[in-house]
Amino acid sequence: MYEQIAKNRAASVITIIGFIIFIGFVGYAVGLILDYNYAVSGAYSITLLIFALAIACIASFFSYYYSDRIVISLTKARAITLDEDPRLYYMVEGLSIAAGLPMPKTYVIEEQGMNAFATGRNPKNSAVVFTRGLIDNLNDEELKGVISHELSHIKNYDILLGTVIVIFVGMLSIISNIIFRVFLFGGGSRRRSSSKGSGGGIFTIVILLIGVVLIIFSPIIGAVIRFAISRRREYLADSNGALISRYPAGLASALRKISSGSGVSTANSATAHLFIANPFTKKTRPLFGSLFNTHPPVEERIKRLEKMSLGVGM
Amino acid sequence: MPFLAGIIVIVAIVVLFVIILIALYNSIVSLRNKVENAWHQIDVQLRKRYDLIPNLVETVKGYAAHEKETLQKVIEARNFGINAENVKDQAKAENMITSTLKSLFAVSENYPNLKADQHFSKLMEQLNGIESNIAFARQFYNDIVMQFNTRIQTFPGNMMAGVFKFQSKDYFEIEEPSAREPVKVKF
Repeated sequence: MYEQIAKNRAASVITIIGFIIFIGFVGYAVGLILDYNYAVSGAYSITLLIFALAIACIASFFSYYYSDRIVISLTKARAITLDEDPRLYYMVEGLSIAAGLPMPKTYVIEEQGMNAFATGRNPKNSAVVFTRGLIDNLNDEELKGVISHELSHIKNYDILLGTVIVIFVGMLSIISNIIFRVFLFGGGSRRRSSSKGSGGGIFTIVILLIGVVLIIFSPIIGAVIRFAISRRREYLADSNGALISRYPAGLASALRKISSGSGVSTANSATAHLFIANPFTKKTRPLFGSLFNTHPPVEERIKRLEKMSLGVGM
Repeated sequence: MPFLAGIIVIVAIVVLFVIILIALYNSIVSLRNKVENAWHQIDVQLRKRYDLIPNLVETVKGYAAHEKETLQKVIEARNFGINAENVKDQAKAENMITSTLKSLFAVSENYPNLKADQHFSKLMEQLNGIESNIAFARQFYNDIVMQFNTRIQTFPGNMMAGVFKFQSKDYFEIEEPSAREPVKVKF
């Protein structure tokens, strides 16, 4: 388990560095084009490089320290109290005692789809989120199985990597959204400006370039996310969770129920990988979401958990 | 010069050896502290239950005042638990509390008004939650005791334990012999 934690931390560092380099590269490339167009050597490229690197560093800082709060407000989760949800509260408290972890802040998303996720940079600054549908539809043993699974993710530092990626993918989706909107609706200005001179034309070329770069790089981004959640980590969280709850059949039964209805409307392509099950339904699946959707198949997870129950030991 | 190189190598090996010993000692101490922490964790949960009981007894009194005997037994068990000085007494108090709470709950079955009371059901829910967490705290305590005992019983920890007189810790075991018997369900 300790090697898993070390691997996750290393992977988080690599991701952050890679992101900063990527954004810096995009900024520099845009600057080079502007330099060429306005025939100034180096002015735009250097400025934009510094600007892009600064933004990337700030984004990385925020993603490391505030990602849990950002993710929770993105998904519209609400903190629970002992009075309102005693059953859930006592279960999370008890299982964190059994796991040797400080009790994470617990939240609820008031939706009927059954799903859950954990977030935060380390066990002391962690949070777990459950949907109302999950809490209401699972029995005690099944809910304990899900809670133990999420607590294992926290213990393994899987969530550090996952939450860092949320911010990055979010930023990149926003940028590509803006690109396409400008491209689609800014077509008229191109015709007007080409007669006047190179001022307006260069703007659209820049936008086009960023759009093309993002299209080329989105498979890579998808691979990064796949790298983040990887099946091995999910299976490991399943089995570590069973060690905490001492009852793998609970999680197996929960996964069976969850697979029938895990849609969460407040999820998006940036946060999807955090959830225990795919939060998109046929209706809400985003256009470019399929690249980012990499949950391991439920049947395989159930099979492995059931093998654990029949096995002699853990 | 080969002589100097030889000395450097020997010093490096000794330093490495010392570092390993320090790491081993620290890991044993760290685990021992985790064991103590886990034991106190159980205490925290037990204390929550002790704090809950007077409230529970008062609520039951409101509806079932003439079940004085049962209520008295619960209070006595609780006080005995709070004042318990050693592990043996605490275990004894545990059994007393468990059995008196069982009879209290059986009593409440005869009073439908009590069962319908919001406050009572809330307290019972809290009591069940705390009981469950006491079990988890004990599970964690036994897990960490196993890790500690394994560390000081296997090589090379056993040598370190011998030198510094580290002792194996006891597992938390069920004292109540009836708890091991199969549960008889009667309709």
